[in-house]
Amino acid sequence: MSDARGPRAQGLLRIGRAAFPPSQPLIMGIVNRTPDSFFRPGLTWDEPAAMARVDQVIAEGADIVDVGGIPAAPGAEVDVAEEIRRTAGFIGAVRSRYPDVVISVDTWRHGTGRAACEAGADLLNDSWGGDDERLAEVAAEFGVGLVCAHAGRQRPRTRPFRVAYADVMADVLDHTLRLAERAVSVGVPPDRIIIDAAHDFGKNTWHSLEVTRRLAEMTETGWPVLVSLSNKDFVGETLDLPPEQRLPGTLAATSVCAWLGARIFRAHQVTESRQVVDMVSAIRGDRPPARAVRGLA
Amino acid sequence: MITSAALCPAPPLLARELTGADPVVPALRRACLDAVAALIADGPDLVAVVGVAGETRAWPPDGQLDLSPYAPSLRTAQPMPASAPAWVPLPLGLGARLLDQAGYQGRRELQSISDDEPAAACAALGARLAGASARVAVLVMADGTARRGLKAPGYLDERSVPFDAEVERAVRAGDLTALLTLDPVLAQELMATGRAGWQVLAGAMNGVRPAAEIRYCDDPFGVAYLVASLQAGG
Repeated sequence: MSDARGPRAQGLLRIGRAAFPPSQPLIMGIVNRTPDSFFRPGLTWDEPAAMARVDQVIAEGADIVDVGGIPAAPGAEVDVAEEIRRTAGFIGAVRSRYPDVVISVDTWRHGTGRAACEAGADLLNDSWGGDDERLAEVAAEFGVGLVCAHAGRQRPRTRPFRVAYADVMADVLDHTLRLAERAVSVGVPPDRIIIDAAHDFGKNTWHSLEVTRRLAEMTETGWPVLVSLSNKDFVGETLDLPPEQRLPGTLAATSVCAWLGARIFRAHQVTESRQVVDMVSAIRGDRPPARAVRGLA
Repeated sequence: MITSAALCPAPPLLARELTGADPVVPALRRACLDAVAALIADGPDLVAVVGVAGETRAWPPDGQLDLSPYAPSLRTAQPMPASAPAWVPLPLGLGARLLDQAGYQGRRELQSISDDEPAAACAALGARLAGASARVAVLVMADGTARRGLKAPGYLDERSVPFDAEVERAVRAGDLTALLTLDPVLAQELMATGRAGWQVLAGAMNGVRPAAEIRYCDDPFGVAYLVASLQAGG
């Protein structure tokens, strides 16, 4: 990877044994091994329920299963041992059941990342902006993928408090590109590195809307872009709706990001998200309709 | 010589534009405006606006509020002053806007105080401001803790409620000297960004025990907002 940060074309993205072209948007299905996440709390806290959830998201069309053991919001302390207990064994079980599915672990800690990789994870999804620098070294050691996110230099599990940016997208670009370049320098394969603006993380609603509006500035860098929009507060505040009523707003944001070239969509509602990104993909001309006979018979 | 003071919080959402279609905190904005109207009612010849920011310094008195760091899309929506505006830190910009809204057109000073300034330096700054003219009114933009509940920006810290209660007691009683003993480390841990501002206020009052009126005291989002008017006797 050169240091030049000018526009670059999107290339092949490798995760696990798979390789995905820019024309193929990916859905990352969320599986929370937590009792207290903000959306449907505790739904998949039990392992059988979590495995049923994995079955469901794969059946609904998820390309990636994202397993997390800690909610983003502040709350009861979850130490590394407990986080590993919640995620690593379960990742091993998913790997046994689905030898070819792409498995991601949602963590910022290198200890958890290492345990997850040993259990079969393909991707380290760090939403907290590289708080633990050794996570990139774990990605390099195992040859797995790494998400380089912007959290506005907030510590993990903290809420934004009066955050202000001279230019939020400039800050997002500066931080995520620096993390990506550092990841390359420690040996993470460049075609396994992904960038993420991290909506809501270190951002107020105005900032998340701005980042959505200007997402093309991220996709033009050539790095594959992940967006994590699902039922988040910026949707809730924009539409004045509680978490369980944020699906239409989530899908609207999903469609804008898909149009602007995002490639991975982290989602709770996989069926609906899959339909939206496939539809936008067809509008972009990246994907043919499933079946076209109208006016053609 | 200080004649009166007003205490207002300085959250970004005090700016009506930032809360979207919903005014969210109309009572808080009204209380702040009432406090500033009372502040200028008896004709000060100087209003000093004090706010906590990254450094201790004076700012151009015609400095303006800049909301674009909080809402980039509002950048073009803001009316541009005829001359090039000097953007000032948020608390000072909010205070300046309150003075504008209250119709104050007299002399003003905008003074920031660094959030790590020790109490003695804060008090000295307050004393200097109070002595800057014959009839000085001081508007202090300062916030309480931000850790008053599970949904608060800083999550729950049980020490927040008693901390804010002591600040409220001191202000209500006119016992501003007590504010000088607030622990800066604890204030920082509780995200009470206003600590230095309260201590400037204590220094400005310099032992005078003002009559206080509390106009607002609540924490709708887990951050303590206190609005008060203080009359320095006589």
